[in-house]
Amino acid sequence: MKKLYVVIAVLLVAAMLIPACAPKAPDCTKADVFCVGMVTDVGKIDDKSFNQSTWEGVKLAGTELGAHVLYIETTDSKDYAKNISTFADAGYDVIVTVGFALGEASAAAAVAYPNVYFIGVDQFQAWQYDDDATNDIANLAGLVFPEDQAGFLVGALAAQMTKTGKLGGVFGTDAVPPVWRFGEGYRAGAQYINPNIEIFIVYHSDVGFDKTFTDPEWGATTANSMIDKGADVIFGGGGKTGNGAVIAAAQRGVYAIGVDTDQYYTLPEAASRLLSSALKLLTPGTFDLIKLAKEGKFPSGNYLGKGGYAPYHDVDAEVPAAVKAKMEEINKALLDGSLQTGVSPVKP
Amino acid sequence: MDWRRFGFIALIISVLFGVVVLIGHVQISPVIIITSMLSTTIAVATPLTLGALCGLYCERAGVVNIGIEGMMLAAAFFGWLASIYMNTVFGMAPMPSLIGGVAFAILTGGLLGLLHSVLSVTFKVDQIIGGTVINILAIGITGFLNRQLFFEKGSIFGGNVPHAPGVLPRIQIPYLADMPVVGRIFDQQPITWAAILLVLITHYVLFYTRWGLRTRAVGEHPRAADTVGINVIRMRYANVILGGMLAGLGGAYFTLESVPSFEPLMTNGRGFISLAAMIFGNWTPFGAWSAALVFGAAQALQINLQFFRELIPPQWAFLQISYVVGLAPYLLTMIILTGIIGKNIPPAADGQPYEK
Repeated sequence: MKKLYVVIAVLLVAAMLIPACAPKAPDCTKADVFCVGMVTDVGKIDDKSFNQSTWEGVKLAGTELGAHVLYIETTDSKDYAKNISTFADAGYDVIVTVGFALGEASAAAAVAYPNVYFIGVDQFQAWQYDDDATNDIANLAGLVFPEDQAGFLVGALAAQMTKTGKLGGVFGTDAVPPVWRFGEGYRAGAQYINPNIEIFIVYHSDVGFDKTFTDPEWGATTANSMIDKGADVIFGGGGKTGNGAVIAAAQRGVYAIGVDTDQYYTLPEAASRLLSSALKLLTPGTFDLIKLAKEGKFPSGNYLGKGGYAPYHDVDAEVPAAVKAKMEEINKALLDGSLQTGVSPVKP
Repeated sequence: MDWRRFGFIALIISVLFGVVVLIGHVQISPVIIITSMLSTTIAVATPLTLGALCGLYCERAGVVNIGIEGMMLAAAFFGWLASIYMNTVFGMAPMPSLIGGVAFAILTGGLLGLLHSVLSVTFKVDQIIGGTVINILAIGITGFLNRQLFFEKGSIFGGNVPHAPGVLPRIQIPYLADMPVVGRIFDQQPITWAAILLVLITHYVLFYTRWGLRTRAVGEHPRAADTVGINVIRMRYANVILGGMLAGLGGAYFTLESVPSFEPLMTNGRGFISLAAMIFGNWTPFGAWSAALVFGAAQALQINLQFFRELIPPQWAFLQISYVVGLAPYLLTMIILTGIIGKNIPPAADGQPYEK
């Protein structure tokens, strides 16, 4: 009998010791503990694209603001809501959801958990043009980007790098405002460098929404046709359709320009000819919004991040120093507002 | 040779090209427009040509095959999948994996051909139903596996949809491809060249070999063929499997030659268009190829019109809607089927199971 007591005592002590040995997880329900959770879109955290860039911003909040940060990888689109509420139920203060696809789940969660701040990366809040903003969900901010500026930058770069004086751009449907802004920003940037430049811009507008971003074969064929007509820089913007154009351009040996994130890492088959990518700067945008949330100045509705352009990587040696300097100058002017792209936010 | 038909086809292609030249000549020289359209036409006609050849072998042997679409879609998926596995799981170099992928696509097409012949030759199932089964099976199985392998929990590629290791490299015809401007036409990818070669080979096989004669006999009058000792069942099996393999090569065009990625329903009705091309071409290889070129030209028109959107006069603006231009192939097929251009003569025993 005594032996049994000893065994039980040992087990009890051990049971108390085990959690003590593990790092102490902070209690996010406490007011003084600032916790940030991130839910990825379907894909890995190290996808070298949206998930990873956003996570860098969240991690930055961890080191800069002392936040406790954690992510959940979504493996099935059915799990969006479940993953978001896992964080919300654990008392997280800010929840970052990555990607357009989580928009609905984020809005629903923001209504269900009014005390949690939600940051929807690349989730356009549709009621932006509502002047009094009464329809905004107070604790939900959509992080959106000035695609026209990113497009403008790569357009200016393309216009400086072309030898034939002809550029091409292959895009998804122009009925989606960000796609339109990428395309017209590209045109504006190219014409800013050379008003007489010849530029082919094609939107895949004549098909349904189910097809416009997932038609890589059309993108490749269109890009090839542009190259046949002398274009020597191709900008592909619009999901898989754009990727098809970028891959085709690289295969034909002309410069290709990617979109959204640095596609040097996401399209290895095009990497050797990838001039740059029109970027949505996810990392600083995410960090800024988390900071505003911590300071209690959280903006609802849409929050405009910054655009940019990716490094030249493999073709760095082919880009003259003067072009690099000019690009930095244009980027600065766009950021401080002294240079405007003149692109309307939606197709008129 | 059916000159009226070929004249009509040449006329249609000239009209399609002429429209673009007419609109775009102020911006780009006509030579460049025509070259680039021709180059696009030849490339996009590839799956149509191979699909039409598939239909040709099947129907010349007396088996209607409306499952070309499904054969191409399944081949596109499994060829692509095989090349990814060879490259990432078995660590093979990109080039051998691509070629392996093409071989696998051909194998997939062949297996579906076998399925179709088992259904329609051995079990004498209605051949239209057999083809429909293949189409539905292909849509289901590629959609399901695509989801299971790449998007579901614990799948091997876990959410990151991989690409095939690049696409098949371009092959330039020596000298011809070096010509300025027009050289572009002679710079195409391997399956495109293979399709053109296969048209020539098919013409030779069907009309100048014993195999071809037997195939046609089986499709025209199987009982007569049987009485002279031709094994009707075996000829039909062989031709349908051969046709399936050609459709499989056509499927490889989508995921290994054009782009290195797969999309559900990627073939987008081109199996059916190739069936129309076969009829359009009156069940002959050259006819089918030139009809495939007409449909390719319609697609090239569609792509090229978008470059000159600003130059299109407003009263013709409706043309830039690809739904309208996209109708062209179907309208042309209907015109052809009316018999105005020349009588269409299908093989006499087409679609009839052979009862001994």
